[in-house]
Amino acid sequence: MEFGWTSDQEALRGKLQAFLDASLPADWETIASLSPGSQAVTDFSREFCPQLAEAGMLCSHWPEEHGGSDASAWDHFIIGELLWGAGEPRGPQYYNVNWIGPTILAYGTEEQKAQHLARMREGNVVWCQGFSEPSGGSDLAAIRTRAVRQPGGDGRYLVNGQKIWTSYARLAEFCFLVVKTGDARRDVSVFLLPMDRPGITVRPIDSVVGDGDLHEVFFDDVEVFEAERLGPEGKGWEVIRYSLDFERVGIPRYALALRTLHRAVAELQREGSFIAEAEQDAALALARCEAARMLVYETVDKRMRERPDTGSASMARYAVVCAERQVADFVLDWTPHLFTSDDAPMVATHHKRAIAAGLAAGAAEIQLNLVARDVLGLGV
Amino acid sequence: MDFTLSEDQQMLMTAFEGLLSRYREAPHGVHGYTCYSEAFQQELRDSGFLEITDQPGFGLLEAAMLIEAAASCPVSVEAASSMMIGPLVRDGAGPVALGWQVGRPVRYLGQASTLCLFEGDDVLVCARDECDLAPVDGVAAYPLARLVSVPSGARRIRAGEAAAIRRRVLLGIAAEAAGLMRGALENTVQYVKEREQFGQPLGHFQGIQHRLAEDMVMVRACRSLAFRAAFEDCDRQAALACLYAQDAMRKVIHDCHQFSGAMGLTLEFPLHLWTYRLKVLQGEAGGRAAQARSVSRATWPQHQTAADKHIIEEGVA
Ligand SMILES: Cc1cc2nc3c(=O)[nH]c(=O)nc-3n(C[C@H](O)[C@H](O)[C@H](O)COP(=O)(O)OP(=O)(O)OC[C@H]3O[C@@H](n4cnc5c(N)ncnc54)[C@H](O)[C@@H]3O)c2cc1C
Repeated sequence: MEFGWTSDQEALRGKLQAFLDASLPADWETIASLSPGSQAVTDFSREFCPQLAEAGMLCSHWPEEHGGSDASAWDHFIIGELLWGAGEPRGPQYYNVNWIGPTILAYGTEEQKAQHLARMREGNVVWCQGFSEPSGGSDLAAIRTRAVRQPGGDGRYLVNGQKIWTSYARLAEFCFLVVKTGDARRDVSVFLLPMDRPGITVRPIDSVVGDGDLHEVFFDDVEVFEAERLGPEGKGWEVIRYSLDFERVGIPRYALALRTLHRAVAELQREGSFIAEAEQDAALALARCEAARMLVYETVDKRMRERPDTGSASMARYAVVCAERQVADFVLDWTPHLFTSDDAPMVATHHKRAIAAGLAAGAAEIQLNLVARDVLGLGV
Repeated sequence: MDFTLSEDQQMLMTAFEGLLSRYREAPHGVHGYTCYSEAFQQELRDSGFLEITDQPGFGLLEAAMLIEAAASCPVSVEAASSMMIGPLVRDGAGPVALGWQVGRPVRYLGQASTLCLFEGDDVLVCARDECDLAPVDGVAAYPLARLVSVPSGARRIRAGEAAAIRRRVLLGIAAEAAGLMRGALENTVQYVKEREQFGQPLGHFQGIQHRLAEDMVMVRACRSLAFRAAFEDCDRQAALACLYAQDAMRKVIHDCHQFSGAMGLTLEFPLHLWTYRLKVLQGEAGGRAAQARSVSRATWPQHQTAADKHIIEEGVA
């Protein structure tokens, strides 16, 4: 056990910071506050990600044969930490490198890998995640959207049903889609579905988390093919669990929370009102962020060693939710004007993302259920 | 960054666990408020573990690991100060006691060979034998004695050098608190698995599961923050780890007692042997307020307002 960084890791941070300084436009913070799924951030990501790929920092953790450089999960995580703290200039494309790509690497056919990983590593493709439905949020097994295999032996299915809360759907080219393929509760399958298939309708949902983050997606006799199925039919649950282990701590949310905290403290100092009570609240918020960081690091470390993940991702997720909330409350308590005015774009960005921290990628309470079961051995 | 024990660390912890295994259970029957064992203290001294930081290849991180492990036992033993600051101040071979103010109770004062008394930014160090002490009768689970007076000739360590002592005290508190919280939580989790009400184990109720799961998240975070701070041996991280621990223990102590029911308040049930040590640590070294101030000043050094200055001048620690 040790907590240092190698000189290569320090160098990577320096390299990425220099890259960001050179490539983010002057009004980037304002653009970022529109949220990752907005037209503006998505457009920007199509410029930014190819440059990041060119510099070898988009998917360096992938195997060499798929265009990566076999870099460690730490390298990828260090990159993710800095980019999330900067407002996530990869926009919706962080999905690709964090969890969709790795899941395709693990379960995809050679054709699927060739088709999708190539687009992802070029930094020019947007995906969405079709899990949640009106009937199945926390209880994902209660989804109703169904793919029915068509007679004729040509490997054709028809999909009918509806997804909801689907981030990035309006601008996405592909959907990582979970559907029922049988009657048993966990008889689900995953499809890699092009979003331009006839029969798909996307409707944006206005929300407080920003533009482009929430949609409804309707499927009306949409054709999908066996070749687009990820993993065996009916075995989608395993694929989903694999992907969620990556997704749950995919976002180093504490990085933006910390930046927001520093911004709020700087504001108080500028006003000369960083009084003792504020100092105490700020220090406690900082401690929560660092606690979250350590639990996330521990999960990354475990994942790298490919040890089974006994609840550590859920513990990290929960700590992150607590940290996000403490920082958001610090802003509301001590610098309310940064929340109400429109001249602190990074604070707005943080608030929009923090409010969803306890829901997106699985509710906080579901994480507690998993910790109770897998770590404490309760209720089993 | 590596959360797995190295081979040497693994060997160290296995050897240490061999020693701890005899103290993993409180002696059977009704306990006192404290469960201090002279034999445990003696064994620890003879084993050489207290000098861990002098061993080649080991340092403060390993000390923190040993302190955390020792604290997870219900039987108490002075390890934190001996390991963390013993090498800097020790006069004799026995434990080191930490005093914050003359006239107040001090942990392990009766057992110690050395006393460190914190006085402003300085630290006074003297042999315990030269101090006057008086017995204390209370419910805390540390052996305590009141520090009545210190000799006028006590060695004064000035601010600069004293800062290292203070930093290591915080590292010791953070690591010890992490172990104590782990011990209390493990005991409670075991209890809710066994105790049945409404026809099922208490641990089947989600209201209980969630709070214990939250506690587990905090206990794990405490441990990692304490270990990282020890690894870095840095003032800010030490204060931050201690702050997080002193904040987290408020909830952990409460939940553990709550879910252990009335049983948890009896002396035959060992819970108090962890929680009533934690309660002493909650305000140690100035408590959350002092730690928060250190973290804040180290992170955001500029600007103090009039209100702020007033508090500094009054000296809250
Ligand atoms: C910003 C944002 C983006 C999202 N993006 C996507 C996306 O791209 N793709 C996608 O598929 N989904 C997405 N989601 C949906 C997200 O996965 C769900 O919101 C989440 O799984 C919770 O489902 P729900 O909202 O239906 O809440 P419900 O399942 O109705 O639960 C509501 C609340 O009840 C509590 N609760 C529920 N079950 C339990 C239980 N068993 N024990 C204790 N408490 C419980 C929790 O507090 C929970 O928050 C997104 C959500 C947000 C907020």
